[in-house]
Amino acid sequence: MGTTVAARQVFRWTVRASSSSLLSPPLTSRCLLQPRPASCGLFCSTSSRSPMQSSQHNHPVSPVSETPVTELSPQSLADMGFTGTQAEQMLETASKARGGRAARHALSTLTALLALGLNPSSVLKLLQKCPEVCSVKESQLQQRVGNLRKLGLVEGSLQRVVAHYPQILTVPVKTVKHVVVLLREKCLFTAPQVTDILRESPAIVLGDLAQVEFLFQVRCRHCFLERRGLYQTPDKKGQTIIINPKLDSILNVDQMTFLTAVAKASVEEYDVFQRLVAKEWLEEEKEQGSINVDGTYSEEEEEEDEEEETGGRSGYIKTRKRTI
Amino acid sequence: MALLMDTRLLLRKVKDLRSLTPRRHRVKEKWATTRAKCPASSLALQYFDANYSAHLGELWPSVRVALLSERKYGALLNNFSHEDVLADLQARGCRDFINDTDTEAQPCSEEKSETCLEEESNNLPVKKPDIDDQLLSPLKLSPNIKCVVFPRGDLTRFKPARPDMERLLGYYLMDAASVLPCLALDVQEGHNVLDLCAAPGGKALTLLQTQAIRFLCVNDSTASRTTRLRKVLHSYLPKHFFTEKNLRITTFDGTKWGEIERNTFDRVLVDVPCTTDRHSLIEDDNNIFNKIRTGERRKLPQLQLELLLAGIQAACLGGEIMYSTCTLSPIQNLSVVEQAVHLARENHGISVEVVDLRPLTHMFRKTFHFAPDLHLGEMVIPHLAANFGPIYMCKLRRLT
Repeated sequence: MGTTVAARQVFRWTVRASSSSLLSPPLTSRCLLQPRPASCGLFCSTSSRSPMQSSQHNHPVSPVSETPVTELSPQSLADMGFTGTQAEQMLETASKARGGRAARHALSTLTALLALGLNPSSVLKLLQKCPEVCSVKESQLQQRVGNLRKLGLVEGSLQRVVAHYPQILTVPVKTVKHVVVLLREKCLFTAPQVTDILRESPAIVLGDLAQVEFLFQVRCRHCFLERRGLYQTPDKKGQTIIINPKLDSILNVDQMTFLTAVAKASVEEYDVFQRLVAKEWLEEEKEQGSINVDGTYSEEEEEEDEEEETGGRSGYIKTRKRTI
Repeated sequence: MALLMDTRLLLRKVKDLRSLTPRRHRVKEKWATTRAKCPASSLALQYFDANYSAHLGELWPSVRVALLSERKYGALLNNFSHEDVLADLQARGCRDFINDTDTEAQPCSEEKSETCLEEESNNLPVKKPDIDDQLLSPLKLSPNIKCVVFPRGDLTRFKPARPDMERLLGYYLMDAASVLPCLALDVQEGHNVLDLCAAPGGKALTLLQTQAIRFLCVNDSTASRTTRLRKVLHSYLPKHFFTEKNLRITTFDGTKWGEIERNTFDRVLVDVPCTTDRHSLIEDDNNIFNKIRTGERRKLPQLQLELLLAGIQAACLGGEIMYSTCTLSPIQNLSVVEQAVHLARENHGISVEVVDLRPLTHMFRKTFHFAPDLHLGEMVIPHLAANFGPIYMCKLRRLT
């Protein structure tokens, strides 16, 4: 519902703004002529309009208004549905963010955000939380929002994520994609799980490579505890024979604390273990790959047989395959 | 996670059967209905968890994680091979842990070892030499036994050994800790040596590397095991070595050795069948913890006792007997030795003394982790950084 309201507001504003600022009639008409379902359609229209706006902004002589439309004014804000006080606060926020190239895109950003279906008060809050959003080019904004949609954040969750963590809009699409690839390939999350992660803790996109390593470590820590006999995977009823340490004490502590308080192991052991399991996992992947590729007995295996007969040499191959 | 484990288990099984059975016997495995609900390896783990955590205490988690991770190997160099593999292996970063032991690093932990010695209780007739540096350093070991390992924490693997021009292999890959019982047995020039449970032959091969043995008798209980033993020996020893005078490979019941050949051997190695802890955790096929083999497993300590007694009887006066296992279980280690010492005196009138192995453990403490506070014998315990063992060893000397 909010979406339609916002859409209507933007429509209204678009019409007024265009009439006052000599926007080319064909565009306006196109905007109005093409009936689109709520926000999505509008999005397209705003994106198609943005180059026009910037071109107009570049014009040295602007006959009507001294402040171009891309600049925020109380009037334009009121047009967008902000109340008086909100408009003031908004201007204040925008002026704060106005360093260098910032705030040039403020208006288009606001439009885009409203078009997403956020109401003016939440847009204000959002910008107060993260004024940097104003400095994002509209086309980029579109791309980023589109990417998030592609990742499975449907209407509703998308708005929630943007409202709670507006920083996500300042992150390039490429970075988000990297994080997603990492979550899927290194951390073995499924696509819906990745969506959940993005929805519940979008801050992950700003976690750098250290974060990556940390995530990888999580499995390592659990495995370490499991093999030490200090952790058990709960059965289907969620029961374990031993009392597992609290998740918080496994994940939410630095390595030293983890080793001394939970695992009760030496740094040397854990270091060797990390390298060992990394190796194991690598081999596992390879092995699974090879099984998928050839189901038949290959030459290699026959060789293995021979080796086994000669004794000593076979040991490695055995252990390697059967390590739990 | 559980799902992941299951599939991994399945894959493991599929691979196992394929590589273990000869090709002509390979059949498609039925794995839907007949799969055991609880595989033997996890039964083993449960058993160890219940028993060893009480026995090893705080050490158990560290031993457990090592047992469940990839083991480390040592390469026993074959002196009969013509290829000089030592230089090659050293170039890869290995070192011979027997001959270049830490002479320079010896003083650093001197105090520590002495304090731990004082703590030890003196329950049994263990002969304790005064442990001074003077006594420790001239520990005589055969200079011919060479075993190289990758340094502590290094996870590199050995490549399979290549045959030389006489088709003899350059080195034998085995648990480096298995060399210790052979070293500790201290074979001298011209000795008659008996290896009571010799298959697959790693320890026998180590003993032969001393090149001091006049006559070696290797025995194992079943034909399949002696066949394997024979194969190993044939791929490491030159043909002229296999003469009646040098070597005898037999397939007898080791427990009856006392009736066959008494008071004969200068050195006897009794490396008994045991629960093979590491193996039982990894391999499901033919696992001693399989439900079907419960009876056999329960009888193990008795069998071990009988074997050790037979070994004691086979040794000559002043001869030395090395009892070794590859389990952590005190029932199969200490208890067996205690009982054997007792029974040898009671039933056979043979008195034996336990030989202190601490000079040896002191010498190799940088390569292996030894269990602290064992009142009888020594035990290598696995540790992630030095993932060798478990090996228990106890040396006895026959007095009467």
